[in-house]
Amino acid sequence: MSSKAISLLIIVFLFLLLFVIRSVFAVNMESPLFKIQYGEIGIAGGNKTSDNYNLSDTVGQTAAGQFNSTGYIVKAGFQYLHSIIPFRFSISNTNINFGTLIANTPQTATTVLTVSFGAAGQYQVTVIEEGKLRTLNEANNIPDTQCDGGANTCSESLAKPWTSSSGYGFGYNMSGNDVPTDFVDSTYFRPFPDRTENESPAVVMSSTNVGKNRQATMTFKVNISPIQPAGKYQTIINFVATPSF
Amino acid sequence: MKILRFLFVIFIFYFLFFISSKEINAQQVSLSLSPPLIETVIKPGKSILVAYTLVNYADPVILSTKVLPFEPKNNFGQIKIKEEFDGPIRFSLDNADFNLGQEFFLKTNDRQQLLLRIRVPEGAPEGDYYYTLLAETQPPTAQAEKTTSFAKATIGSNILITVTESGKVEIKPKIVLFEVLPRYRFSFFGKKINFFDSTDLIPLVLVVENKGKNLIKPEGQIILKGNFGEKAKFDIVPQNILFQSQRLITATPSAEIDCSTLSKIKACQSPISLIMSGFFLGFYRLSTSLIFGENSPQISASTSFFAFPLKIFVGLVIVLAIAVIIIKRFTAEE
Repeated sequence: MSSKAISLLIIVFLFLLLFVIRSVFAVNMESPLFKIQYGEIGIAGGNKTSDNYNLSDTVGQTAAGQFNSTGYIVKAGFQYLHSIIPFRFSISNTNINFGTLIANTPQTATTVLTVSFGAAGQYQVTVIEEGKLRTLNEANNIPDTQCDGGANTCSESLAKPWTSSSGYGFGYNMSGNDVPTDFVDSTYFRPFPDRTENESPAVVMSSTNVGKNRQATMTFKVNISPIQPAGKYQTIINFVATPSF
Repeated sequence: MKILRFLFVIFIFYFLFFISSKEINAQQVSLSLSPPLIETVIKPGKSILVAYTLVNYADPVILSTKVLPFEPKNNFGQIKIKEEFDGPIRFSLDNADFNLGQEFFLKTNDRQQLLLRIRVPEGAPEGDYYYTLLAETQPPTAQAEKTTSFAKATIGSNILITVTESGKVEIKPKIVLFEVLPRYRFSFFGKKINFFDSTDLIPLVLVVENKGKNLIKPEGQIILKGNFGEKAKFDIVPQNILFQSQRLITATPSAEIDCSTLSKIKACQSPISLIMSGFFLGFYRLSTSLIFGENSPQISASTSFFAFPLKIFVGLVIVLAIAVIIIKRFTAEE
């Protein structure tokens, strides 16, 4: 093989090698003999030890003396979470107005849910309707959506596409941070769980690592049939935000 | 003069229009409640007073408070709040002007201290009782002019109560799952062999069950040991495991990984305790030892995996094949 061919082989080899090898993430590893410290290239590289995690040691059956003298021990907040910023929950718009409903013409409206927790902490936001969208005299109501029906029948815990103009009812879509994965895109909807039917609230936002200003948009959708009686329909949607334990 | 009079009329009209306009702006709610969690160990016959701070950051709002029991919903730390109150614990507010269930008004940027009295009656059975203090807005009762949904906001803070006469609690933990979620898994003589590519993220799941009557809080580490003696340690996050329940235990530094931006990574597609990253080569053993406070039993578990640079190997084979083809073509031309 000629020197030209060998040079070419080396160039091709090095060139393609650069395309094959991708950047890697790093964990520091050590033994009594050596320590390999990788750079913080990736999402979890480097030492992540923090003073926060060593500050308190109040777990378990400690403070027995205090318990015997006072009859109680109280601990407030999370042992692993030291934050001066409290758990906070916001709704951008509490009056979700659909305007005048027209048969076979879906109406949508949105509200933004925001959850903040100074440092990392777990949380959940649940939702439930306090009854169906109904007229004040309760004579008529708009049913909860079943989405497009058939294979695309949605439920309180599973979102499915709702694109058909003949799919009637009331439902919601979620997009943004920490939302359930079954909301694949903006066409996927679920019906609200109904407290009057003893259904359980549905989790619409949750995370084991909330951080600050986690935001999700809830899109409400109503589509009525031509035989839906005229009237003003109302309901209350109850959002409950709780930290973990 | 006529122009001035005209402008004056326009000004008055404009002014009055905006003053008297009944345009409804979006009503915003933003509440905070702290502390987010109370843990107490308490004797029957005793009561404690906990001061909460409720802050309204948005439009003025009418609120009320209540306490309801909850139970764990799954092993990810989510809760299910019960519809009706139960249990022996008694709650009341020591506030002078309102009690639980009564409405009060909170202006924008105003804060209200809630003095929650928690009383354990004499003779209350020993055990754990879990509740959530809820502060909820009151949705408008007036009739809307169009079809409308009114959003009601409720914010909660959890209360974990252990009732004990002696101060001793029952600690009965069990590790029910300590496994990596491998790219490939083979079975060899009945033994599972986990296999990763060297550049893969290594997701690990640790689930602990509390078989006792009181909540427990694990402390400890997950240790990764390689075949060359290298070692990495990850601290367990001390989260509560409620009685007769399981919980997915997390460890640092995974708590800092934001999977919402990494959802395409397989390791982020299911709940995990820890994600390890690095260039892994050969055989690795993962182990964990957990304790639950002083004089508690120590429990441990281990698992293992192999990692080889499959992607790089395949890449090299392709590179060599292409190189050989090119060289053959060049030498043929010569």
